[in-house]
Amino acid sequence: MTEARRSHFWHSDGRRLSGLSTLLLLLPFFAIIAFVFVYPILQLLVISILEPHPTLENYARVVENPVHMRVLMRTLWTATLVTALSVVLGFPVAYYMSRAKGTVAALVAVCVILPLWSSVLVRTAAWSFLFQRNGLINSALMALGLTSQPFKLLYTQSAVVIAMTHVLLPFMILPIYGALRSIPDDYGRAAAVLGATRLRTFLEVILPLSLPGVVSGSLLVFLTALGFFITPALLGSPQEMMISTLVSKQIREVLDWPFAAALVGVLTVFVTLLAIIFSKTLRFDRLMGNAS
Amino acid sequence: MLRTGWMWKSAAFVLALALCGALPAAAEKLEDQLVIATTGGLMGNTLAKYFYDPFNKTKNVEIVPVAIEVPDQWARAKAMQRTGKVEFDIVTATGPDLVGRTDLLEKIDCAKLPSVQKFGVSDACQPYGVARTTGGMLITYNTETFKDKAPRTWADFWDVKQFPGPRGLPDTGDSDWWVPVAALLADGVKPEQLFPLDIGRAYKKLDEIRPNVAVWWKTGDQVQQIMRSREVVMAMSYSGRALAVVKEGVPVAMSWDQAIRDTGYMAVLKGAPDLNAAMAYLDFFYASSDAHVPFMRAVNYATASKSAIELLKPEERNLYATSPENYEKLVKPDFAWIGEHRNELRERWMAWLTR
Repeated sequence: MTEARRSHFWHSDGRRLSGLSTLLLLLPFFAIIAFVFVYPILQLLVISILEPHPTLENYARVVENPVHMRVLMRTLWTATLVTALSVVLGFPVAYYMSRAKGTVAALVAVCVILPLWSSVLVRTAAWSFLFQRNGLINSALMALGLTSQPFKLLYTQSAVVIAMTHVLLPFMILPIYGALRSIPDDYGRAAAVLGATRLRTFLEVILPLSLPGVVSGSLLVFLTALGFFITPALLGSPQEMMISTLVSKQIREVLDWPFAAALVGVLTVFVTLLAIIFSKTLRFDRLMGNAS
Repeated sequence: MLRTGWMWKSAAFVLALALCGALPAAAEKLEDQLVIATTGGLMGNTLAKYFYDPFNKTKNVEIVPVAIEVPDQWARAKAMQRTGKVEFDIVTATGPDLVGRTDLLEKIDCAKLPSVQKFGVSDACQPYGVARTTGGMLITYNTETFKDKAPRTWADFWDVKQFPGPRGLPDTGDSDWWVPVAALLADGVKPEQLFPLDIGRAYKKLDEIRPNVAVWWKTGDQVQQIMRSREVVMAMSYSGRALAVVKEGVPVAMSWDQAIRDTGYMAVLKGAPDLNAAMAYLDFFYASSDAHVPFMRAVNYATASKSAIELLKPEERNLYATSPENYEKLVKPDFAWIGEHRNELRERWMAWLTR
């Protein structure tokens, strides 16, 4: 029954749309995805194994060259850090949002969503002004006498992680907020009636039920972070180079498309695997949530 | 009378022959338009003012400028070659590009470009490109930080005891050989003995400076910005970008000692749709010496026009790479060697930089 409801559209009078009309409704979306996403990706993957001649050489080069593996590992590590930081910073905000009412709730929501309306480039540029050698942070520290020499903040791993977390935080907060909102208030009250402290209610009722939100938020943030381009390029040094910058270097500077395609292939495999693992965990959590 | 008549006749005959020979060349019709890819902004606008518009007026060819960064331009050119639909005629190329990217480029017959021969410096016309602007990768330093003693050479750039403070080096375009070349010069290698590059020695020297490099800049705008904001006290910079900052009144100066010559070339893509117009433009660029002076003042780079640099006063001339005083200080790279070893240079650079 739930399956049927998921895969069909409905008339306003409650009749189910025919298979054909459903297909017609969905067609534009899938056509666009197929044309602008699936087709180019497949073509790239084809290039990666057919050029210069049918071979797996390009993939061997990705694995053999320590630079590429280093950049790939660093990309995964940076994305992990950003995801962890987003959970830690995002959960309290989402929790507060789900409890807040009226004007306060609206205000918090605006604060969370507003940054999404400005471009990533602008937000990244703002951070670079803060982090500069003679920027706001260093000037303030020196004015307060906390340091006599300016710190090196810009072009570091920390700068990249902080700015990326800032950019991606809304994608963590919103799914968690959604999960928290869908937990009926009665559950908390029931726990309290049964004698649980607030902490215990949170740890044993609210937190487990909000996990699907945390997982989908993490998935969203992690996968987006893997493909980040502008922020690491502007705030990081070459040591913070991420895989997308490497791909773009191969395409723009070296003009080695088959190899760039192989890099994309490796990343695609990674992302797909991670997505599968994450979604399995997500279902698992749902089951646990429903069972209890 | 008879004799003169005979002379006239033979003269007419010769003239007719010459005309027949010349006619097909003169009749080589120029296409209606010409697509030129260059960086946009100042360079694009100034080219349009001094060269595109006059070319349009005299030759009746409409120039379609495409503003694009050089790496993107090559990516597009490569894509055009793959799909077989070439849309750019003239592109911007660096010295090593003329050696390493010949598969994308049309060969240029210098004999058919008389103005380049006549007004350009001796090496202005290359088999795959015609020199457009020449500058140098040079040391730019803050004059307030280094009031008493100014850094002059790459050895000074490496000398953090005498000249302390954060440095800026490029991570863009040709930095895979610019930076190793600077390192070797800093290590005492004579400019004429640079090539073939001793890469191992260069990277050993680079390890020394690395902790002092605060910024690996990626664009011309960025190197200007780090000089203005004092993110660094010294940087390797494009001379034209440095000159622009000097003109703004920022307390920085340039040292032309051991500057690495950096020439931007105009090259024609293989399969360019407007080939005749492209070749005509390359020649036209050198035909008008008068346009070169205001052009150079506006873009801060010298052209390879012999006649134009002579029109400048010595103190102004010294701001440009091609002045007689500066030109001999320049380090002239061996593009053939660089072109051949490009992959090796690039991989070593990437491996070192991302470490």
